[in-house]
Amino acid sequence: MTRSLNELRPVYVVGIGWHRYQNPSETPYVELGLTAIRAALADARIEWPAVESTYVATALLGMASGRPILRHLGATGAPLMHVENASASGSTAFRHACIEVASGISDIALAVGVDKRNPVRRPDTGIGNLAEDAIVPFTHFALLTNEYAVRHNGSTEDIALVAVKNHRNGAKNPNAQRQQERTLDEVLGGKRVSGSLTALQCTPIGEGAAAVIVASEDGIRRLGIDAGRAIRTTASVGRSERVYPPGAGFDAALTKETADLALAQAKLTPKDLDIIELHDAFTVEELHYIESIGLCPEGHGVRMLKDGALDIGGQCAINPSGGLIAMGHPIGPTGIGQIGEIVMQLRGEAGPRQHGGARIGLAHMVGVGAVCYVHILQR
Amino acid sequence: MQPNKLLKPGLYSATSGDQKGATARLKGGRCRCGYVFFPMQTYGCERCGSHGDALTPCELSAKGTLLAEATVHLHADKNRPAPFTIVKVALDDGPVIRTVLAEDSAPVAPGQRVTGRLAAIGQSDRGETVLDLRFSIAS
Ligand SMILES: [Zn+2]
Repeated sequence: MTRSLNELRPVYVVGIGWHRYQNPSETPYVELGLTAIRAALADARIEWPAVESTYVATALLGMASGRPILRHLGATGAPLMHVENASASGSTAFRHACIEVASGISDIALAVGVDKRNPVRRPDTGIGNLAEDAIVPFTHFALLTNEYAVRHNGSTEDIALVAVKNHRNGAKNPNAQRQQERTLDEVLGGKRVSGSLTALQCTPIGEGAAAVIVASEDGIRRLGIDAGRAIRTTASVGRSERVYPPGAGFDAALTKETADLALAQAKLTPKDLDIIELHDAFTVEELHYIESIGLCPEGHGVRMLKDGALDIGGQCAINPSGGLIAMGHPIGPTGIGQIGEIVMQLRGEAGPRQHGGARIGLAHMVGVGAVCYVHILQR
Repeated sequence: MQPNKLLKPGLYSATSGDQKGATARLKGGRCRCGYVFFPMQTYGCERCGSHGDALTPCELSAKGTLLAEATVHLHADKNRPAPFTIVKVALDDGPVIRTVLAEDSAPVAPGQRVTGRLAAIGQSDRGETVLDLRFSIAS
C-alpha cells in the first residue's frame, strides 16, 4: 500500500532564508548559497550540525555544485544530493526533503536552491523538429497569450494587469529582484519581446538563493525549536506531462491534475486557499493557473484580477512575494523561495505585504519537460 | 533551372517535386493504438508505449487551422533574425505543430485556414536553393 505525505509523520517548515534575487553579478554562487542557508539556520535558531540531510536544487551551475557551498558551514559528513528539474528544481528538492523527514529517516533536512544565469543546454533527443530553436519560452507563452485572449474575448491589456499587481507586491519585498511599482502604461509601453508580451510581463534573468529547513515533531522538541512558528506541509504532489487532447494547453492541464491531487490530499477546496505562490514567468500563466487550480471558471481570471480579489487583502492573494515576474526566477531557488514566502505569510511575519489572517497557502511550479509540483502549507 | 535542396528532408517532402511554393507533406507516424504523431520516430508511442512494428510512417497533410500566432521581436539566436512570426497549427490529420509563418504571408489570426508550403530560405554551399517549410493562409 502506498501513502501520501500527510499520512506519514507530520513535517514542518521551521527555518527560511534568502540571498536576494538580483541581476547577474560577480558574486560567487557559494556566497549566494551560504547567505540563504545561514539565514534559514538563524531563523530556525539551530546550528548547522543539526541538519541531517541536504537537497541542493540547481539547474545551471554544473555538476556537484553543492559541496563547495556546504563545506564552509563545517563539514559534518551528512548526506547531500543535487536536484535538477528545470524551473521546478527547488520545489522538487523541497518535496524530497519533506519525504525524508516524514518517513522518519531524518528529523531535520535542508532544501537549498542556488543558481547563477548560465546558458541553458537542452539535450539532443535525436528526433528532428521544425523550428524549436525559434520558439524560446517567451514565445511559447506569447502563443498561449494570443490563444487565451481570442478564446475568452479578452484584451492583452487586461492580461498585462497581472504584471501591475505582481510588481506592486514585489516593491514591498526586500528579497525581490524588481522592487518597483509599475503602471499599466509602463508595463505595456516597455520593450516588446514576443507577441503582446513586453519585458515587464516576463520574468527577469537573475541569480540568487533560497533555503528552507524542515523538521519532524521529534526534531522540534529535541532542538527546542519554537513550535509556534513552525508551519506544517499538509500536501505534496509531483506529476509529469501526459498526452492531452490536441491543442489543449499542457501547462494548464498538468497544473489542474496536480493541484486537484494536492487539494484532495489536504482535504481542502480551492475556496479554502488564502495565498497562492504560482509560476507566473509570463503574465498569462497566472490566469491559466488560477483557473486550473479552481479559483474561478476558465476565462474568469481577468474579472477576479480587476475586482482586486487576487490582491494582498483580497479573496486569495496570488504571488504576494511579487512572483516570478517581480521577485524573480533564478531557477534553482524559485520553488524554495515560494515556500519561504508562504511560511512568512502564515506566521504573520510578512510586514507591509502581509495578507491578513492567512492560514492556508499553496505553492505551484511547472518546469519545461514538463513537470508540475504543488505543495500546501497550513498554520 | 537551379536544383533545390530541402533543409529538413526527414520532416517533410513536397507533393509534386521539391519546388518552391509546392504544398508540403509532413512525415508523421501512426501507432497501432491509433495515435498519430509528428515527426516520425521509432523510440516508442507517447500514448501507449508500443514500439517497433507498432509504429509506422504516416504522411500528414500540411493543411490545418491556426490556433495561435506570435510575432517575435527579440531573439538571441543570430540564425533567426527577428522579427519573424511563429504559428501554432492544428493539422487536419491530428497533431498540433509550431513553426514559422512565411515572410510573404498576409497577417494571420486564430481560426484561419493555413497551409504549409516550401519556401526558399537561402543558398547552399553548392549553389542550390534551400527550401524549408513555411505556413501561410490557405489559398
Ligand atoms: Zn500507441
